[in-house]
Amino acid sequence: MADPKEVKRLQALAYDMRKKLITLTGYYEGIVHIGGDLSVTDLLIALYHYGMKVDPKNIKAPDRDRFLLSKGHAAVSMYMAMTLRGYFDYDTLMKTYGRLDSAFGEHPCKIQLPGVECSTGSLGQGLAIAVGMAFSARMKKEKHRVFCMMGDGETCEGEVWEAVNTAGSYKLGNLVGIVDRNKQMMTSFDGDYMNLEPYADRWRAFNWNVIELDGHDMAAIVDAIDQIPPITNPKPTVLIAHTTKGKGVSYMEHEINWHAGSLSKADTEKALADIEANYDKLGGGK
Amino acid sequence: MADKVTWNFGEFLSARSVAGETIIELAKKYPNVWGITADQGGALKQFKKDFPERFIDVGIAEQNLSGIAAGLALEGNIPFIFGMIPFMSMRACEQNRTAICYQDLPVRFIGTGGGLTSGAGSTHNAMEDIGIMKSLVNMTVLSIGDPNMVRDIMLLSMTYPHPLYLRLAQGKKDRMLYEPGKYEFKVGMGLTAREGKDATVLAHGEMVFEALEAANLLKEDGIDTRVVDMYSIKPLDKELLFKCIKDTGNILVLEDHLMDCGLASAISDACMDEGIYPKKFKRLGIPQIYAGFGSGEQLRKKFGYDKTAAAAAVKDMLK
Repeated sequence: MADPKEVKRLQALAYDMRKKLITLTGYYEGIVHIGGDLSVTDLLIALYHYGMKVDPKNIKAPDRDRFLLSKGHAAVSMYMAMTLRGYFDYDTLMKTYGRLDSAFGEHPCKIQLPGVECSTGSLGQGLAIAVGMAFSARMKKEKHRVFCMMGDGETCEGEVWEAVNTAGSYKLGNLVGIVDRNKQMMTSFDGDYMNLEPYADRWRAFNWNVIELDGHDMAAIVDAIDQIPPITNPKPTVLIAHTTKGKGVSYMEHEINWHAGSLSKADTEKALADIEANYDKLGGGK
Repeated sequence: MADKVTWNFGEFLSARSVAGETIIELAKKYPNVWGITADQGGALKQFKKDFPERFIDVGIAEQNLSGIAAGLALEGNIPFIFGMIPFMSMRACEQNRTAICYQDLPVRFIGTGGGLTSGAGSTHNAMEDIGIMKSLVNMTVLSIGDPNMVRDIMLLSMTYPHPLYLRLAQGKKDRMLYEPGKYEFKVGMGLTAREGKDATVLAHGEMVFEALEAANLLKEDGIDTRVVDMYSIKPLDKELLFKCIKDTGNILVLEDHLMDCGLASAISDACMDEGIYPKKFKRLGIPQIYAGFGSGEQLRKKFGYDKTAAAAAVKDMLK
């Protein structure tokens, strides 16, 4: 079972990250994919601050865990989780995000921003790249894991299932998929047109080890991370995290319009007030 | 390997076998060389026995394969993708662009069945690949007919830090053109395969042999034709191109590719951009058509870009 003190620490970080994401979205005049950013906030905090072996001061350490954000449009949430871990400077992120020549683009670019493992943004491509990285680690007998976070919507792409098939066939136990199962795509809910259920069974059918969890329950996330088998396991693992797009902001949750957007001053204040009102539920409590 | 090859101009050798032998030679020397395929790895028959831990077959899934290649390269490996050109260049086009070229990763594409050589019809013909591949930023595009050149290019690729596309002709039965070891091949260079002063035929891949045959036909009529192997299509050897224009005036481009997005286009772009114009310019290759079934030789004749057509075009230019 997760250490309650550790859970509390992570919750407080996630609470802080939500407020900072809203602040940035309000500050930036362009569009931010705030819905999907808030659905992966808790997961990213848990990964960068608990689950993954990473060192912001040594970003090329050969034994570091690798992280790929296949849902590249949630870049700002990855930047924020990494910033809170000590990778980047908060003021620079806030002031330059999305602007000309900024390292912090709307989708992550590894060439512009060292510390990012892979440039992503075109959906459905991340897992295959992660499979290649997992093959390399296994051949070199390296001990780290490769984590790849996907949106559930992008798993409509055929390439995802080609990669799922390869990882299952080659028994890549050092590969961990994380699916942000928020049941919302850009323009529709799961089941409106495309039906992804039975979702977990689809992964199991390709010989993956499946762990389902509540992606906003920090104790459950920590438990799920603790349950990932050793890299010698003959199956790759996927964490299917049940989440809510826009989590923490009442007017965004379950609203199709909040896949991406910008926030007026009033929107920003209301969103921050919402997060503060849910202070305990979101783990703001000390 | 080169010392085992009995070399005779114009005789057949399998480029795929040369590639298969070379990747073993490279894998022995470099622990980061991988041979990977989407169920099209005829060249990897021995490699997969010798280096099973550096061989991946993903089944028929080219998009996935290009993604995996990117992942391998991100970790410091040099993956060689073996496959048939249309699927490597078209099915996986976006992965080649975004996963590989955007990150400028040293992935090598070794594609067989260039142009209309596959014999399998329009689904398997490779008419667009050079146009597609040369439009990808950071991608280098080489087209090779001579099977022994494959080894030279694979060797040089070990120190080349960018994505590289190597277009082979048919791949199983290819004409030997150059004595192994006689020439040095480089990215961005062309090779004068035959000197001449009346006209230059610029070709790539298997069409270099056709061009040399055309030059022999023209010699009977007293026409002295230069033949240049423009194996490096991107980057293009502009210096050599402009020298040919200066020396011979007349330029014929001969290629087993759509005429409007291959070498001929690259050459006409270069001439327009630099303001250096041939006296006469003509291109022969695949027109805007799905060519259908037949051997490469039959189709080249049917669509008017074989040695006879090339010789006639040169004569016409000299009228």
